[in-house]
Amino acid sequence: MKPLTTGIAGIALLAVLVLAPLGLPPFAMTLLTEAVILGLFAMSLDLMFGYTRLVSFGHAAAYGLGAYACGWLLLNTGMPMLFAVFAGALLTGIVGLGVGWMCTLATGVSFSMLTLAFAQLLYAISFKWTSVTGGSDGLAGIPRTVGPFGFAALSSKAGFYYFALACLVGGFLACRALVRSPFGAVLRGIRENEAKTTALGYNTRLYKIAVVAVAYGLGGLAGGLYAPFAGFANTELLFWLLSGQVLIMVIVGGAGTLVGPILGAAFFMLMEHQLSAWTEAWALYFGLIFIAFVLFAPEGIWGLATGLATGRFRPASERH
Amino acid sequence: MSTLALLLTQTVNALSQSALLFFLGVGLTLIFGLMRIVNFAHGALYMLGAFVGYSIAAWSGSFWLALAGAPLLVGLFGAGFELTILRRLYRRDAHAFLMVTFGLALVVGEAVRLTWGSDALQVAGPPALSGVVFMLDEPFPVYRLFLVAIGVVVAVAIWQFLERARLGLLIRATSQNADMANALGVDVKMIRSCVFGIGCGLAALGGVLAAPLVTASNGMAATVIIDAFVIVIIGGMGSFLGSLIGALLIGFVQVFGNYYAPDFALAFMYLVMLAVLVMRPGGLLGKEA
Repeated sequence: MKPLTTGIAGIALLAVLVLAPLGLPPFAMTLLTEAVILGLFAMSLDLMFGYTRLVSFGHAAAYGLGAYACGWLLLNTGMPMLFAVFAGALLTGIVGLGVGWMCTLATGVSFSMLTLAFAQLLYAISFKWTSVTGGSDGLAGIPRTVGPFGFAALSSKAGFYYFALACLVGGFLACRALVRSPFGAVLRGIRENEAKTTALGYNTRLYKIAVVAVAYGLGGLAGGLYAPFAGFANTELLFWLLSGQVLIMVIVGGAGTLVGPILGAAFFMLMEHQLSAWTEAWALYFGLIFIAFVLFAPEGIWGLATGLATGRFRPASERH
Repeated sequence: MSTLALLLTQTVNALSQSALLFFLGVGLTLIFGLMRIVNFAHGALYMLGAFVGYSIAAWSGSFWLALAGAPLLVGLFGAGFELTILRRLYRRDAHAFLMVTFGLALVVGEAVRLTWGSDALQVAGPPALSGVVFMLDEPFPVYRLFLVAIGVVVAVAIWQFLERARLGLLIRATSQNADMANALGVDVKMIRSCVFGIGCGLAALGGVLAAPLVTASNGMAATVIIDAFVIVIIGGMGSFLGSLIGALLIGFVQVFGNYYAPDFALAFMYLVMLAVLVMRPGGLLGKEA
């Protein structure tokens, strides 16, 4: 797809998203808000998975950590929601530095397993550190506090939606700037051939740690949004199943495209909602759809869309 | 209970737990060693084994028939999945397998729920093993001793199979260098189907054997898949001996952790795994990082 066409498509999509609260019933707004939050979460993983080929099996750690941190702040300090969300993201990013340092000791499958181990460790802690996390009940009744200076516009349903949307758009622009920068070029170099990138004089480990920290920070932002959105944070937000689901959102949407994972998250939400309304056995059809995607549409939704727009399909081997 | 008796019973408990974990881990590691794929559906197939075993036992009234039949059926199912789906993906990125097997886990999990319902099902163990024996005057279930024994038998059988049998030799050759094995006339495709089937069958064996202890339930897949990953990672992906060591380590950590520090038991396992990986990124017996 030509840059101009993409730009027009992007602006049109954004316009639809901005105008959505005018025409949608409340339950659809709730779904859309959650899709926006999950889109941000999936996009954060794309930095690691799509651009650097760092396969994280434990990205739920970032989401859960952001949600618990933000939720705890809102429940215990009365901090304005606007600040609490970003404080959660910042904390998660700092933790991400440590996780990145530790996990990049290994590569390949071992890297994936270390990320999984770390996420499961947090999951175990969230059960046991009851005084902070609420144990198996989680944190409930998380308020959307107003402020600063009594600024209450973000607490309403539509206001919160715009807040989440602003985070998504801001996150997208930041990620796009990042992957187009020289830093992003090194990340792609690591993806294609790490040994060669090292031979060119780059300390690839530092780049990997940095991208893990950024991905965690953005994932934590998404989690931080989820806590006041849902009003609760529980251990499921740290469970490996979510890590698997977000990886699938990225792959179904189209890894290494930033936009794709956002669409993948929306698709995931939509399928889950539609299928569960239509049949009790939604997970069965869900699984079959995923298998079909891997077999027949390896480029994901975004790959299908751009392939249709340009009238040609690029084989998977050409892009990765 | 005397300290000695306590230690003894806990040790046998840990050994029986290790045996169950070993059935899972060894299948996962065989599959990874040969195909370089992480089978996310391993836990779901373990669960499938437990439920198929329940049905066979209920229909025939014999636990022994279930013990033989469930691994066979699940193994055939696994081989069929490899033949029809996985086979198309070998030239693709590793994440294609991740997604397909994740999809399979969802499908199997849901199919089990639709077929057998959401309630946990009680599977009766064989009557011959239902009693207790006395060890240092403490009663101990015979069934757990039986698990330890069958764990040893299966471990020795797999080891001998890999070392002595012709198919075992071909599997090792294909693991080391699939292209070379192929060039030498080994039917690599057939080997892959076999190993995926064997791995799935071993997971089902674990499921059938665990069922009398923990009942067959929908939740058993989710917890066990992580245990299996941890074992394989600790031992080193693709290493048979490594999976045995990993299973023993985790079995002991789980049982003793649960007894002495129940609050931290869940975290211990992951701490052990982190410690191993930080020191040896490829796992204890793994070759590559």
